[in-house]
Amino acid sequence: MISRQRLLGCFVVLVATSGIAMPVHAGKPEFEIEIRNHLFWPAEIVIPAHTKVKLLVTNNDPTPEEFESYELNREKVIMGQRTAVVFIGPLAPGEYPFFGEFHPKTAQGKLIVE
Amino acid sequence: MLLTSVIIVLREVLEAALLVSILSALSVAHGVKRGWIGWALASGFLAAIGLSYSIDTVSNWFDGVGQEVSSASMQIAIYLFMAIFIFLIRAPARNGRHAGAVLPFVMALIVALAVAREGFEVLIYMFGFAGNLKQFLVVLVGSGIGASIGISTGVLIYYLLRSMPRNWSLFASLFLLVLVAAGLASQAALLLIQADWLPAQLPAWDSSSVIAEDSVTGQLLYALIGYEATPTAIQAGFYFGGAALITLIGAGAGFCCRQKRHAADEKSGT
Repeated sequence: MISRQRLLGCFVVLVATSGIAMPVHAGKPEFEIEIRNHLFWPAEIVIPAHTKVKLLVTNNDPTPEEFESYELNREKVIMGQRTAVVFIGPLAPGEYPFFGEFHPKTAQGKLIVE
Repeated sequence: MLLTSVIIVLREVLEAALLVSILSALSVAHGVKRGWIGWALASGFLAAIGLSYSIDTVSNWFDGVGQEVSSASMQIAIYLFMAIFIFLIRAPARNGRHAGAVLPFVMALIVALAVAREGFEVLIYMFGFAGNLKQFLVVLVGSGIGASIGISTGVLIYYLLRSMPRNWSLFASLFLLVLVAAGLASQAALLLIQADWLPAQLPAWDSSSVIAEDSVTGQLLYALIGYEATPTAIQAGFYFGGAALITLIGAGAGFCCRQKRHAADEKSGT
């Protein structure tokens, strides 16, 4: 009996927490981008217009990088082997370049909003 | 890489150097000795080292936006201390002794916080190359050049302010300080928008065709007055609201002081 109750309890907690967590994620589409050898992969990402998105930038290099964009007004340090969260938008359709400030010659990317 | 390091370090040093030079010019004009600068720079540098070491922990705070929130808090703290500074320097203009004790402390706090905030990014950048001696040396040389240009600009601004007639110098220094404070307020707003703590909006205007943010002029204006080519309405509100508030505090303190003096004059029968 007790184990059954526990199982039920676990189920209730699971449903409740997923119910709380779901709308948060449903509100903001997530996009991922990686930094490898001071390059962005992919170098171009397409995101929807007039929508706030959550960009997850993973730095696979051992060295730190700074995600920066004048057009997006964003700036964030990402240590080596770490993932950073950057909220972007809502944006009008167009192209928004970004770069890695610590390695600006190679780390170049573009956000395409359509 | 050399040029990159020059630009990165120059950008950060310029902001702090500007603040130090304006505050020094104002404090010397009010008879405060410059001894506080050394302490402020040293403690700011130590705080920057501490910040760069704890960045991993800080970044994870508040669901991954700890970096934005802590930076914004520091900007707001600098803004508040600047408001206190402007109040102190305007209010007791006639009996400098009263503010003399607190002023250096407030100025040291402002500079230490600014150095910590700008410095930790430079340290993270430089230590990123520590594994490769050749690259590290190039970055070290570039950083040295960038820092020298930034500090020279600060010294130049200090002597420009000091060489002006007293009233002009006070006006120019306070005016620059108001602009720097407004820039800090708008940067704090921008960071909180990035963290999703403040609502995001479409830019209120786009002046990038007039002055691009990545141009030399744009970079200088960013360091001097917090220039943004595409600010949102909230950011612009923080900028102009921040400028207005600190101006009012300065004007109010000056007015208050004059009233008190009048009252004192009447009492003594002059």
